[in-house]
Amino acid sequence: MSGIKSDTAIKLPISFILCALVAFVTSLFILLVNSQELLAGQFRFPEIWMGAHFLLLGFAVMIAMGAMYQLVPVAFLTPIWNQSFGFVQFYVTVVGIIFLSIMLGINPSLAIYGGILTVIGILMFTFQMLKTLAKRKENTAMSHLVLAAILCFLLTILAGLSLTWNFAFGGMANHSSILYSHIAFGVAGWFTLLIFGFSYKLVPMFSLSHGASMKRAKPSFYMYVFGLLLLILSFWLNQSFIQPLSWLFLLIGFGLFALDIKEILTKRLRRKLDKPFHFATLAIINGWVIHVAAFFISLFHIDDPVIWSWLIFLYIFCWIIFSILGYLFKIVPFLWWTHKYAERIGKESVPTLKEMINEKVSGYLFIVFYVALFGILISTSIQSGVTLFFFLAILTVNGLLYALSIVAVLFK
Amino acid sequence: MNDLVQDALYDVIDPELGINIVDLGLVYGIDVDEDNNVRITMTLTTPGCPLHESIENGVKHRVREIEGINTIDLQLVWEPSWDPTKMSLKARKMLW
Ligand code: HEM
Repeated sequence: MSGIKSDTAIKLPISFILCALVAFVTSLFILLVNSQELLAGQFRFPEIWMGAHFLLLGFAVMIAMGAMYQLVPVAFLTPIWNQSFGFVQFYVTVVGIIFLSIMLGINPSLAIYGGILTVIGILMFTFQMLKTLAKRKENTAMSHLVLAAILCFLLTILAGLSLTWNFAFGGMANHSSILYSHIAFGVAGWFTLLIFGFSYKLVPMFSLSHGASMKRAKPSFYMYVFGLLLLILSFWLNQSFIQPLSWLFLLIGFGLFALDIKEILTKRLRRKLDKPFHFATLAIINGWVIHVAAFFISLFHIDDPVIWSWLIFLYIFCWIIFSILGYLFKIVPFLWWTHKYAERIGKESVPTLKEMINEKVSGYLFIVFYVALFGILISTSIQSGVTLFFFLAILTVNGLLYALSIVAVLFK
Repeated sequence: MNDLVQDALYDVIDPELGINIVDLGLVYGIDVDEDNNVRITMTLTTPGCPLHESIENGVKHRVREIEGINTIDLQLVWEPSWDPTKMSLKARKMLW
């Protein structure tokens, strides 16, 4: 552990995070200018594909990678396998994602070339993480979750690549089954399992909680993964009873995770939780509510694609993106603090992590994110193009302000 | 000398919690021999706490400033593991 010099270790996560913030604002802007398509519930549309991948790959995946470069060594007590390889991986991935996303928007038949580059970058990342995790000392529920997440990530990009192949050359039947599997593996598999895994480490740490059993971690994991596999199966088998069953398992898996987090939080010693952390944990409730909704919608065999598209939209924003936005406000100050003050602690007075961020401002930003999402949902329900544009504009400006306030930490 | 070292450790603050490591109950033992070699045994709230390097450095830096100190031997231990009962009343009040 002590072999890692804080100085070199910080550059990689920070590079990922800065690029991710640019992609975040870009994706919101793309959604804004395509508000008409969103209003019509037309998600399978080149510009929306572009916006979705700037958001999911450019922002969320890049943050996940940056955070894993920082957190995997500390959480599993093993150094990153190879830092220089990490930088090569960074450049390949960035170029790949930009090329893939833009081509999905302007010429989908060329997207495969960006796709190949992205996939190479992601494979390099996976290799790096597996090499790093291989040195871990013990197997925990957390390592299962992270490994399963990585596996889902690989399946996501495999499916994604097939979709771009079809755009370029055609010939693969079952395009929609591949697409649904792609979305499920990416959104529910990779991101959800990853957030589960890291929450088991981060929530006790940030709330200073002690003695929670975390006994539901394993059952939660098996339920969720089983539900996910059933869901994928339902896309390929067209058996109408499988889907509600799969949503039930996913719901139970998610619920068990939420109960564990609740237990951790009730056993916390730190009474006052800070706003970013609060926001991140609130996202868990959002995720659970959406799972409940998905279960009932599938139970009543409502298969209107517009409803499902919006459900996925909300799952992505209110669960995945909100979790990330909350934790990022904790991770970046910590990264920067370690870089700048770790050597000075004990020699002079150094700021605490709380003093690195403007918590009040973060609180306002988080409230506005909720207001914008609510507004977007209401606007589409009442089919009002004007208010939809208005709330998307608020979302975009707020996203920009959020990005700037993260960057501001680096000047502290 | 023992007290001097203990006093110094009150200046080492956990940057996430904003509470010093002595009140948090992280310091298990301080031994100073006749040649003023210091041996500090301490733990952290969670194994794999991302701040552990910083806090270790903080301890070394701060103790090094005490006049007459010879060598510093810092032992990070996980047994017995930290638990909240090790915190002082003051630390508990600060968290609430
Ligand atoms: C974790 C990574 C990824 C996630 C979470 C993800 C998620 C999604 C989502 C939610 C959609 C639906 C968007 C919409 O209909 O507007 C989608 C569509 C698509 N994705 Fe991805 N994606 C990921 C990576 C990739 C990669 C690496 C590629 C290419 C190599 C790719 C290629 C595609 C294509 C071509 C479509 C459009 C397919 C269609 O609608 O016919 N994706 N993806």
